[in-house]
Amino acid sequence: MTQPITTLEKPPSPGAPHRAELPLPVERTLANGLRVIAFPQRGAPKAYAVPIIAAQLIVRGGASAESEAEAGLATLTTSLITQGTATRSAVEIAQAVDGLGARLDAASGYDASTVSITALTHVFPDAFALFDEVVRQPSFPQAEVERVRAKAIGDLALSYSSPSALARFVAQRVAFASAPYGHPVAGTAETLAALDRDRIVAFHGRFFRPDNATLIIGGDCAPEDAFALAEKQFGGWRAPSEPLPEPVLFTVPPPRSRVVIVDKPDAGRTALLVGRVGISRRAKTYAAGVVATAVLSGYSGRLNQEVRVKRGLSYGAGAQLIARREPGLFLASTLVDHTKVEEAVTVVLDTLRGLAATPPEASELVTRKATISGGFSRSIETIDGIAGMLGELALYGMPLTDLGEYVPEIEAIDPAMVQQFAAAAFEELFIVLVGDAQVFGAAIAAAYPNTSIIPLAELDLGQPTAVKVPG
Amino acid sequence: MTSTVSGAGIAVAPIDFTDRTLPNGLRVLLVEDHRVPSVAINVGYRVGGKDDPPGRSGFAHLFEHLMFKGTKNTRPETIDRLTEDIGGLNNAFTAEDITNYYEVVPSNYLETLLWAEGDRLGSLAVTEEHFHTERDVVIGEYDQRILAEPYGMLDELVNREAFAVHPYRRGVIGDPENLRAATLDDVVAFHRTFYRPDNAVLVVVGDFDPVQANAWVDKYFGRVAKPDAPIPRVTAVEPPQTAERTFTYRAANVPLPAIEYAYHIPEWGHPDAPALDIVETLLGMGKSSRLYQSLVYLQRVATAAHASADLREQPGLFSFRAIASTGTPLERVREALDAEIARLRDELPAAAEMVRVRTQIASSFVRSRQTYNNIALALVRSAIERDDPGALNSDLDRYRAVTAADVQRVARQYLARENRTTIEYLPL
Repeated sequence: MTQPITTLEKPPSPGAPHRAELPLPVERTLANGLRVIAFPQRGAPKAYAVPIIAAQLIVRGGASAESEAEAGLATLTTSLITQGTATRSAVEIAQAVDGLGARLDAASGYDASTVSITALTHVFPDAFALFDEVVRQPSFPQAEVERVRAKAIGDLALSYSSPSALARFVAQRVAFASAPYGHPVAGTAETLAALDRDRIVAFHGRFFRPDNATLIIGGDCAPEDAFALAEKQFGGWRAPSEPLPEPVLFTVPPPRSRVVIVDKPDAGRTALLVGRVGISRRAKTYAAGVVATAVLSGYSGRLNQEVRVKRGLSYGAGAQLIARREPGLFLASTLVDHTKVEEAVTVVLDTLRGLAATPPEASELVTRKATISGGFSRSIETIDGIAGMLGELALYGMPLTDLGEYVPEIEAIDPAMVQQFAAAAFEELFIVLVGDAQVFGAAIAAAYPNTSIIPLAELDLGQPTAVKVPG
Repeated sequence: MTSTVSGAGIAVAPIDFTDRTLPNGLRVLLVEDHRVPSVAINVGYRVGGKDDPPGRSGFAHLFEHLMFKGTKNTRPETIDRLTEDIGGLNNAFTAEDITNYYEVVPSNYLETLLWAEGDRLGSLAVTEEHFHTERDVVIGEYDQRILAEPYGMLDELVNREAFAVHPYRRGVIGDPENLRAATLDDVVAFHRTFYRPDNAVLVVVGDFDPVQANAWVDKYFGRVAKPDAPIPRVTAVEPPQTAERTFTYRAANVPLPAIEYAYHIPEWGHPDAPALDIVETLLGMGKSSRLYQSLVYLQRVATAAHASADLREQPGLFSFRAIASTGTPLERVREALDAEIARLRDELPAAAEMVRVRTQIASSFVRSRQTYNNIALALVRSAIERDDPGALNSDLDRYRAVTAADVQRVARQYLARENRTTIEYLPL
């Protein structure tokens, strides 16, 4: 069949962008010191109103407040908070949550512990009362402590079997050693086994207090109603007489380039991480860091282009900037065939150094910044998404108006700022490899002077060096 | 103030959509909503795994991948560039009855993406080279999802053994051998046969002006011709099952033994569908559900226990899956499952349990209405799989009308032993 001669059509150009209508948070502090932030659903014309209200309590106190010996304590405590109160068993809580069609979750990170509830408007007051009950009166029944601990240890075994998950645990240790961001949030089988109920009760008592928490209520609820609900439910919460726990301030070890290989012969592929201690959430360079990371990430980001598209070394590659109260981590990651490790390490390092050496083209920044603002737009589509962003600002003591500043700040980043960030951040990088070291270990050790190989049986994430201590 | 639909005492605003059909047969559903300056575009085609050509199991899914490989106007991956580079996203999926393509982009790019979707409906220009690469990608996906994932093969086995006649037995991911036999001619024929305006539904949800959006739809989709040939449809009817069928399979990557029960149930549009959804929720949704409480929490015979009413365009399956806890013989898991099924058939659920289940269903229904893309997907599925997008707005009422006696009746009618296919899935 002969092809008719046709003129190719070009895609039509975009119209003028519409501005995002951001939620307007308002706040008030209760007499007991509890900070309450409310944000109403946006009443745009022709908006499909969703009859949902969400509440989130953020407590300053997470895994970075644990000692090394207590690794996993914050996570164990929050996992147990929904598993029994003064008046209800774990089963009764589950029945109450399901009976209300609500969703009740609790989790800890390094800097904070969070409990959240979402329910339909007409049952929200009942759901909120239940939320109050688990936050203030968890009973931590011994049987549930055992059950949750056993499950946590089982889950650890599962995540250790994944090279990518294991590499992330190892990277925390390589970057932070014995600093409070070094030990795994989930703990280790040994530290979990040693935690008893008394420590859990003490952790809860120490951090779950009104003057150490922020309560966010948003969705189908006017701010005045949200404040009234907060006062009714949490107004009687009294802070203990002990002084408020101080946020843990610490310095992180200076970065130094080194390679840590965990020999896991049964790994299907090798997980490769290149990283370094990064920046704090409040750092002035945060926006530049977010843009630099976006230049490297995503399908058309540089790492994926170099690793997957040009060389077919992996199904994907990307980067992450994890910013916390104190400097967090920058990580570039991919998963490659054991035989391709050496080449992939070179490609990833060269890609990072390329950005540190030369500012990106302005046109490249336009599309990479668009991925950031697009992600932001999608996050503010849901009530939980908005609450999550406000919670982060509150946790790190940043003004809530920063929600509206985020996209303009990203837009203001120019190529030179991206290069400056990369030049400062991509020095003294560490490399973590989890895979079959028999295949690539010798070649890597020959190419990179500061290389150590840890057999999987010798790995102990409970140690600052990540290596088992004899005896 | 718009009217409300209610269920379990919940007042929910209906999804307010316009519904029209272009002269070439394309059904167009629009939902205007200005909460966020973005739009979700979904184009659903009434073609899925069950429509794979003979000897080409998995072809509808392979074809979905090829829809990203260029048209007469565009180079491969144009849709990716037109979405990701402006902060949007795109993807597609193939199910038994539907292949759906979607994009979420800033609202000022609506015209661009309508052009792109109209363009790939109107023409496809895949090269031999791209065809071969993508076929390898799809076979790689089979290796990763079916062979490498624990229990990955079990879904395939359930479809294969539960359906004797209906093409649902071939599943969606298909057979790598069949895919290796496929040719570029098959691709051209498939596009001509199924990718036509009268076999598609376009849904746009979000921040747009309907007058302008409708004009763009007319411009970029209206010009695609409607072919004369009839669209082939699956007419096979699965004969009623009269005796239980039992199979034992052993496979690598089975960490713990599992058991699966699959019962034939009617199609999604059938009046019993809401009651079957209620049974699914009662058994399997949340920590207070019957299967979790009984098998996982109290008896500890299973590490996981699920129930699923897999309602499709044509009669589907109600399935149970339980994975034994370490050291528990599968026979004990089976006894515990049988006891729960007998309980459904023998006892009426308590009023309080019915209230809980209706509230759970209503809550997840409302929660899933938060994003533009979820609303668009719900409309596409309802339009294609039960030929009635508006049914979404009366679903909650239908759930509310289900009584405890209905639950018992559908359990007795469908969860009967002779209607069951049992698969024991064991480690090597």
